[in-house]
Amino acid sequence: MITITVNGKNVKVPEGTRLLDAIRSAGFEVPTLCDHPALEPWGGCRMCLVDVTRKEWDGWCKMVVSCMFPAEDGLLVLTDTERVRSTRRVVIDLLLARCPDTPLVQQVAARHGLEQTTYEPNPAPTDCILCGLCTRVCDHIGVSAISSVNRGAGREIAPPLHEAPPDCIGCLACAEICPTSCIPYETSDAKRTIWGKEFEMVRCARCGRAHVTRDEAAHFSGRTGVPSTYFDLCDACKRTDMARQFVKLSEGAGTAP
Amino acid sequence: MDRIYRVVIERCIACGKCELACAFAHGSEGRPSKTRINIFKRGPELGTPVVCFQCHDAACAAVCPTEALVRNGRTGAIEMARDRCISCRMCVAACPFGNMLWDETYHCVQKCDLCGGDPKCVPFCPTHALEYVPADRAAEKPEPFAWTGDLAP
Repeated sequence: MITITVNGKNVKVPEGTRLLDAIRSAGFEVPTLCDHPALEPWGGCRMCLVDVTRKEWDGWCKMVVSCMFPAEDGLLVLTDTERVRSTRRVVIDLLLARCPDTPLVQQVAARHGLEQTTYEPNPAPTDCILCGLCTRVCDHIGVSAISSVNRGAGREIAPPLHEAPPDCIGCLACAEICPTSCIPYETSDAKRTIWGKEFEMVRCARCGRAHVTRDEAAHFSGRTGVPSTYFDLCDACKRTDMARQFVKLSEGAGTAP
Repeated sequence: MDRIYRVVIERCIACGKCELACAFAHGSEGRPSKTRINIFKRGPELGTPVVCFQCHDAACAAVCPTEALVRNGRTGAIEMARDRCISCRMCVAACPFGNMLWDETYHCVQKCDLCGGDPKCVPFCPTHALEYVPADRAAEKPEPFAWTGDLAP
């Protein structure tokens, strides 16, 4: 265990803990936009900036993104200094300039005392805050169909060459995880469309309800080794089968009423 | 794991109390359609409750890319860490028994977690079709239920 001091409060954490988690375990709040418990830390949103220093540094301190910085023994952490607040406000100001109409960004800005951006608002407003959750979740599933492209103001999340991504399996994990719900998709029992790619649905052989896409079934069976016929039935029909199986078993045992 | 969740289908009268108790216990606004235990009617006042088996070698936990499905060593149940779930629904497709349930309201997966060791459906079952029994009693052959006028303890 190591000991760090957050805003004057000592806290013991296991070695290798991220500074962000250590701060939170000490009971202090740090805002984040790109952090997710299931995904690797990314340091993309710069909201979790904090000041760190040590006794022997004679008052000198440096600013780090706490989600990427390991907690070290004897570290003094300050989460709410004027320097941290003003730097965070610049980050939010820029985000508000990029996404002036996005409710999530407006809420975060309001919480930090910003009503309107002091920069020139984006002439083509977008809801994408470039948090990278969608690309990371896609990588994590082992698909990597989308990524961030271009740099600076022109940066965006897109499939390769802005064409229908050949690797996408249509699982919708990117759209589900998006904090601003800005990834459009359409899904029905007949077909699903996302990132400009159209997917054929696997429909339950019994009730006809669509439950996975054809590409998802292929990906899952490749990943787990089950045959793709495994996905012939939807979960509700599998449960019905299970119930029938139970009845057969109890009839066999002679206990059925 | 000192207790086992046992279902005795011979005793189920398909009253639906367990479904309601489950729906209420898990913040699904009490809608029985959002239950994690499902009764299949097989005749008048006869039902078969189907609920997660907490499999020993669970397909849902094996397929989960984010380790959001983790076994609770104390209760033996596989629990869903909602903050780690990325809603990819691989577990829903992977469960061979259809016991991983997609919740369209909250856009996440729901599964039976034995309510952390105090299954809320059990006390509501009037015929003891659902029991949470000491592990050494789990294999005992169930007796037909004899109505004594008492509700489940």
